Amino acid sequence: MRTLAAVALLACAPAQGCPGLEIKDAWIREAPPGSMMTAAYARLHNAGQRLLRIDGALGADFAGAALHRTVVENGISRMVHGEPLELAPGASGALEPGGWHLMLMRPARALQAGDRVPLALKCGREATEYTFIVRAPSE
Amino acid sequence: MNTAKVGAVLAAGVALVAGAWVASRWYAPQPVAIQSGVLLGAPRDIAGFTLTDHDGKPFSNEQLRGHWSLVFAGFTHCPDVCPATLGVMKAVAQRLGPRAPAMIFLSVDPERDTPAVLQSYVRYFGPAVTGVTGGREALDRLCASLGIAYVKIPGATEADYTVDHSAALVLVDPQGRVTGYFTPPLKVDTLAADLSGIVGSST
Repeated sequence: MRTLAAVALLACAPAQGCPGLEIKDAWIREAPPGSMMTAAYARLHNAGQRLLRIDGALGADFAGAALHRTVVENGISRMVHGEPLELAPGASGALEPGGWHLMLMRPARALQAGDRVPLALKCGREATEYTFIVRAPSE
Repeated sequence: MNTAKVGAVLAAGVALVAGAWVASRWYAPQPVAIQSGVLLGAPRDIAGFTLTDHDGKPFSNEQLRGHWSLVFAGFTHCPDVCPATLGVMKAVAQRLGPRAPAMIFLSVDPERDTPAVLQSYVRYFGPAVTGVTGGREALDRLCASLGIAYVKIPGATEADYTVDHSAALVLVDPQGRVTGYFTPPLKVDTLAADLSGIVGSST
């Protein structure tokens, strides 16, 4: 059973980039028409043996993508960037509204709910690509 | 003044203050308790201002009277907090229907957020949301009255700046006065319940 689980993990976790990084519920917020900006979110899990240091993102559908974190301090919402998201082996984390997120600048095409968009997460120089689904905001 | 007189004056003063306090407690309207923010003890007036709404029409103190309003300051180049908050405001407006406060998205980035940009942006969040912006001076005056702060933060290029801004929603009463703040995390259920109690209690 354990071997089967390990094989399954190997099958779905790409080897390059961020080894052992598994992501779930990867989504991009559908943006208002003409909007220059949106964000991507996902649940993260480090199934590997090494500390993962996620420090950026790449997306061909955008003029730029970056790992950011929203923080609210003294009632002021601000962006923190340039800080890596670290995941210890076995640890889970999340990119979520009001926290860590991938900021996506100037989409090359209008993204609509249901669209599938490739985005890569960077761990240092290497990147691993995942598929994100565009979702309309509910709440 | 001798010691006895001072004592009598002090005692009278204390009695007056105590009486006033008891009276204020006795006669004060029953406060509405909210879960997601604070209501001010005394509403604060908003200084005169004139801005522009997303249809290019003037938006001034007058547009804040006669109904409750909820004001959120942000900008359309905001990737995370602003669309998330506007999504919550949209859902709350749908939940409360005709009793919902007017939802105001106050752009603190008038250089990029022209009325035309604001129009397509706010329409996405439904008919309850009005986009408002305008000249820097009027904007700053309104932000000061609302207790909202914002700071422009330079980015990699001149066009890529971002704006730090207050995350709270400002509640404005039907007299056009600031009467409370809702603070993150903003959840549709709690916000709708809180607003329902407030708009139901005094209109």
